[in-house]
Amino acid sequence: MPSIAGGNLRGKAYWRSLDELADTPEFREFMHREFPAGATDLLDSGERRQFLRIMGASLALAGLSMASCRRWPRETIAPFAHRPDGRTPGMPTYYATSMELAGVAAGLLVTSFDGRPTKIEGNPEHPMNRGATDAWSQASVLELYDPDRSRHHMHRTDGRRHKTGADEFIAWAAKHFEGVSNSRGSGLAILAEASDSPSMLNMRERLLKRFGRATWYEYEPINRDNELAGTGDAFGAPWRPQYAFDRAKVIVSLDADFLMTDPAMVRNTRDFAAGRRVTPETADSMSRLYVFESGYSLTGANADVRFGVRSADVAAIAAHLAARLVPDADARADGAPGDAASPETLGIDQETLDTIVEDLEAHRGEGLVVAGPGQPAEVHVLAHLINDALGNAGHTVSYTAVPDAQPNVAAITDLVEAMKAGTVSTLVILGGDPVYNAPVDLDFRGQLDSGRVTSIHLGIYDNETSRHCTWHVPRAHYLESWGDARSWDGSWSVVQPLIEPLLGGRSAIELLALISGDEVTAGYDIVRRTMSESARRTDFETLWRRTLHDGFLVGSAFTLQTPTARRGAAATAVEGIRQQWSPASDGSFELVFVPDTKIFDGRYVNNGWLQELPDPLTKLTWDNAVLMGIDAAGRLGVSTGDLVRISHQGREVTAAVLVMPGQHPGSVTLSLGYGQSLGSVSEGAGFNFYLLRAVGGMGFAAGASIEPVGGHYELAVTQDHHAVDSVGGKGTQQRLPSIYREATVEEYRKNPGFANDHHHTGAHVAHRLSLWDESNLDGAQYAWAMSIDLNACTGCGACVVACQAENNIPIVGKDQVKRGREMHWIRIDRYFKGHDPAVPEAAVMQPVPCMMCENAPCEEVCPVAATTHDQDGLNVMIYNRCVGTRYCSNNCPYKVRRFNYFDYIKRRPVRESGLLHVQLDYYTRPQSDTNPLRRLQFNPEVTVRSRGVMEKCTYCVQRISAAKIAAKNRWVKLSAQDKARDTRVTVADDSFTSACAQACPAQAIVFGDKNDAASRVTAAFKNERTYEMLEELNTKPRTRYQARLRNPAPAPAGSGSSPHAVQHG
Amino acid sequence: MTTLPIDNTFDDPAQRAPLVLNHHDFGTVTEKICSVNEARRAPRAWYVAFVISLGFLGIFGAMIMYLFATGVGVWGNQNPVMWGFPIINFVFWVGIGHAGTLISAILFLFRQRWRTGINRFAEAMTIFAVICAGTFPGIHIGRVWVFYWMFPIPNQMEMWPQFRSPLVWDVFAIGTYFTVSLLFWYTGMVPDLATFRDRARTKIQAIIYGILALGWRGSVRHWHRYERAYLLLAALATPLVLSVHSVVSFDFAVAQLPGWHTTIFPPYFVAGAIFSGFAMVMTLAIPARQLWGLKDFITLRHLENMTKIILVTGSMVGYAYSMEFFIAWYSGSMYESFAMLNRAFGQYAWAYWIMVTCNVLVPQVFWFRAARQSIPIMFTACLLVNLGMWFERFVIVVTSLAQDYLPSSWAYFTPTWVDLLTLAGSFGLFMTLFLLFCRYLPIIAIAEIKHTMPEALPHGHGAAHRQEPTA
Repeated sequence: MPSIAGGNLRGKAYWRSLDELADTPEFREFMHREFPAGATDLLDSGERRQFLRIMGASLALAGLSMASCRRWPRETIAPFAHRPDGRTPGMPTYYATSMELAGVAAGLLVTSFDGRPTKIEGNPEHPMNRGATDAWSQASVLELYDPDRSRHHMHRTDGRRHKTGADEFIAWAAKHFEGVSNSRGSGLAILAEASDSPSMLNMRERLLKRFGRATWYEYEPINRDNELAGTGDAFGAPWRPQYAFDRAKVIVSLDADFLMTDPAMVRNTRDFAAGRRVTPETADSMSRLYVFESGYSLTGANADVRFGVRSADVAAIAAHLAARLVPDADARADGAPGDAASPETLGIDQETLDTIVEDLEAHRGEGLVVAGPGQPAEVHVLAHLINDALGNAGHTVSYTAVPDAQPNVAAITDLVEAMKAGTVSTLVILGGDPVYNAPVDLDFRGQLDSGRVTSIHLGIYDNETSRHCTWHVPRAHYLESWGDARSWDGSWSVVQPLIEPLLGGRSAIELLALISGDEVTAGYDIVRRTMSESARRTDFETLWRRTLHDGFLVGSAFTLQTPTARRGAAATAVEGIRQQWSPASDGSFELVFVPDTKIFDGRYVNNGWLQELPDPLTKLTWDNAVLMGIDAAGRLGVSTGDLVRISHQGREVTAAVLVMPGQHPGSVTLSLGYGQSLGSVSEGAGFNFYLLRAVGGMGFAAGASIEPVGGHYELAVTQDHHAVDSVGGKGTQQRLPSIYREATVEEYRKNPGFANDHHHTGAHVAHRLSLWDESNLDGAQYAWAMSIDLNACTGCGACVVACQAENNIPIVGKDQVKRGREMHWIRIDRYFKGHDPAVPEAAVMQPVPCMMCENAPCEEVCPVAATTHDQDGLNVMIYNRCVGTRYCSNNCPYKVRRFNYFDYIKRRPVRESGLLHVQLDYYTRPQSDTNPLRRLQFNPEVTVRSRGVMEKCTYCVQRISAAKIAAKNRWVKLSAQDKARDTRVTVADDSFTSACAQACPAQAIVFGDKNDAASRVTAAFKNERTYEMLEELNTKPRTRYQARLRNPAPAPAGSGSSPHAVQHG
Repeated sequence: MTTLPIDNTFDDPAQRAPLVLNHHDFGTVTEKICSVNEARRAPRAWYVAFVISLGFLGIFGAMIMYLFATGVGVWGNQNPVMWGFPIINFVFWVGIGHAGTLISAILFLFRQRWRTGINRFAEAMTIFAVICAGTFPGIHIGRVWVFYWMFPIPNQMEMWPQFRSPLVWDVFAIGTYFTVSLLFWYTGMVPDLATFRDRARTKIQAIIYGILALGWRGSVRHWHRYERAYLLLAALATPLVLSVHSVVSFDFAVAQLPGWHTTIFPPYFVAGAIFSGFAMVMTLAIPARQLWGLKDFITLRHLENMTKIILVTGSMVGYAYSMEFFIAWYSGSMYESFAMLNRAFGQYAWAYWIMVTCNVLVPQVFWFRAARQSIPIMFTACLLVNLGMWFERFVIVVTSLAQDYLPSSWAYFTPTWVDLLTLAGSFGLFMTLFLLFCRYLPIIAIAEIKHTMPEALPHGHGAAHRQEPTA
């Protein structure tokens, strides 16, 4: 290629010549050599310019040309001639935005370094998030930089797909929709993802104005149809329940996983945790959670009393409860739904039922019954009516209007019917992947392939639906496009982009504007127009700026209301349940479909962080599986990893079993979203259970048969199962009371210091003797410390992903997880308690970051002093000095250290290991050879670790440093008098926190300065429930736990036994 | 000269058993031992063995290249088993390298005259085993290109190793041991190298052996200095026998891991090392004496003596195993008790029982004279002891790490093909060096063995009450 050095390097000519240079045949050829996969993408007209502009690294690209013969590329720093307004190089900026997931927005605050969004936090102002997030929001930033995202418009002609430019699509669309418009839109159908976005609704109106005969359908595989139908039946119109778990004292979950896979998960978790925060004096006011469910959900793991029942039996249980609690629920005195469904047949006993009923009655106005989205409408009706009857409505649950209540399953069924009838000639699919996730009996794909429909699919990935559509249009990520959305409480939240579309693409509202021939085509203008039309204010500009700053329109939440229940609704629901209910038949299984805790409905299947995030209960990564109870697995003669064939209504799926404690023996849990390939990360991952999910059985379906087919499938779980009767199982149960300390509310009231009472915990008394001189930290200015409240933590895993995003933690791939080499700096340990593995007494969750021991065992054994204490008492890792003997990890009793066995940051995550998967990292790849797109996500404040060094949680030392620098800068500017008064620079407690603490929706993690008497962590450490894990080793950990409290069910009147002891599997 | 074998395994205290059989005189001893090296062609078995060993050495090199090019992830090491095969192999080879110094130094100081038959190649074996051992810590670290940071090399940043770390102690212990062993071996070989020089038939041989012989002429002054130096080195090396494996055991004992953190480790490791070292000496000596007809010098009595040491040290190791259990129970710590219980009955019980069988039960056959004098039995037993001692290190390293304090981190270690081939390859390195030694250096101390012959004594008939001339 022509040498840059030889050309004119001065002035503008240089900048121009680079563009010219880029188009030379030599340069093209070089690019092909360097980036074989994506070469042409970079050079496509338009996109090349865009790419160069976004990277802001045109010179770096030129530098890369010389990288082929050395490991370090030459990089040239090109400073700005004029600094852009409001930008300080290296200083992060923060923007409020929001992310819509299945029609519900999360309010977010995004960190941006030099124009690159790198980290997502909850918007502290937003009423739903209040600064916290779930794992999905945290991980969405990685999706932005996913190199497998769709980059091209694709056009299918004569059965073959080929890439086209955006211009061709625009030209085609103009012509095509001109024709559609002439027929007033007859034959036009839109299939959209669920959305309450005001701009979307606005664009929909405009579209329907132009195409009067067009039809609009909405479909989400994880939908709230049953909830809408239930509220509709109960109140006469669909309502959206708004729960206040902080006010509830008795909570009954009817198969509702409100702490994990719920759209209001962040608020629910915060409120639920708030209801559990008690002192010995207020111990009585702690909430009690009863959960009925077939397989362990995160909510079940947090239950005080959990009942493993068939999902199909939950309705019958609801009927039993309603019969006792809702006056007109059932004329019959026994209240039994049919003769067969006595409580015993349902796997619970009458006493248990009595206890719950009495408990709910004793807490009128403070109780709460919640029905799960997978349960039929009747269960929702009964849940709402029980709440109504007990006076809970208006206190623990209120209702808001539903902006757009379209039943999703009915909608897609109608659409398919219309397609069959031939009345659809043009189908616009706005996002989603209906070919993959529509109910399988509809044969949506067959209709798309029929050839009668011209279809356009807008998608962030080139997914299965794209492959069957006439056109595929790449969609812009929410961090790249303007939009808006409504959160669960109705707050109008703005979607504000932080970067230009990296790979091209447009948003749904922009595509709608294009189709409907709107004169306003830019997302920004559409959103402004919607808001200004709605606000009708003269000072709109002020309102707009304010809204952008806040991230949402203040006061736009829906009003909380308490609708009146319809008379007779309960009786109808009970009657319906009576008719539907049937006893379990021997040998057949119930299939329960749940959203995956990692990849939701499958949309995040190509997100490495989420793939590698262990499921909270199964600890499974990179796959899903058939979750089967221990008894059931024994009956079939299968164990974890064995392949089984599930047959249901003539449909079959072969998948691997994961034997799961607490799973009902007649029920298997199948999480959705796997078994599809959107790119290198998702390839070969898991099993597609959508192939078993049909209309009428979207939540669960009975009557499936399962048989072993032989063969084994390796599952990568981060925590191994040890059979409880083995030596390891006994050892675990023996040490659990000492590691994870808990007590009942009653014990807590009697003995508030139980966590440090060795009679209670069985832990050894620490001798506090040290072989060496202990590090003297007395004069230290700061003592950073972390407190983790096990009573608040639900185990959702948001902290794990937050840490991964903040600290540039690589994913390692399934093959490496199998080898136990996952890199998470904070992990969540899950233990099952009890001696019967089929019916564990409880599942407990314990987040484990670095303990930052004051007497750190790791430091003593490092031969090169690569891990030492700093002046703030932090146990720090010096990556540069580490030679990788791994002795520190061996000597770490908490096993929080992580080792870079390979250059994970550069390596392709592979699913299988073996001779054929050799990746010679060192000599074959230049130092910079991570994916250039992926690299943009890295936090520049955190070193990217190379192969062969140890790493671990740093307490987000980069955040500590930034806060210290800021505090010092403030101090320096003080007047001389003030300086004399404040001789020490103090970092304000609320000025920063670690990434895990910031993300935690339960506010279980508190981070701060232990030397600051006013800090929250100091207050937390004063709590009598505070204990040190493995204190007998005298490690003096800076991370401490607060023991968990349980609120077991009260003994029913006239009975000595507690239902706690009679749980069923 | 007649070559009737004479049985020297009798237990008559009134009569000193001859250590060289078949009426050898000084001349025939030299002749016989030199013939191993002076034969124009080595025995066919040597060539076969050498080619196989070279093949394994190649595998060793290839595995190391692959490791360097890729990362330590090619091994089965994981979290929490951060140390796997490399450290097991390291301790195994260091243990093997123990017998040499023990035979050279301690048996020398204790006037055990029978040591002269086996000390030369026991020492050689030590050197080669330590070379194998030294390779593993070097290649096992994550960033091999900065391995020298483990050494106290003065630098402008004044960055020193962290002297509290047992790994730094290891560097010194192994380094010292290797240096002293090498010096001891070489010093003892000087008179024999002079013999080789004198008998050299080619110019090249004469030059090389001449340089190595350091101008040895066999004068009384030379002998005097030589004996002094040898005695001093023996005295220097003696503490090393105890120190080196004690320090290696500190790698484990200093850590606070249940199953590692025990004060019994230093003596237990030393006993185990001597145990495995003697087993390896016998594993090598038995075929060597057969191959080169050295049964006159490495007699059945030598072998029997070694089986006795194996029996003693094996029983010591067995005592240590049981004492670990006692202490675990006596400590009252649930983590300690669990670590022991888990070893014997947990997921690695198979490894534990291989270890106990090979190390404790198998050597008990040597209570029987017939077994002590049966070549097939002792050879099989020694192979099993080698296997058992490898498994002892496996049990210590892997079982303790795999299941430590927090059950959430527990895992099951599985080696990869690279692990297995590297272990096999290290035997290639060891055997290649050993076969080259057999071919090119005196495998029996010619000069020393003559001291044990009756002719070396003033009265010429090996009177038991006489002062030994060598000491």
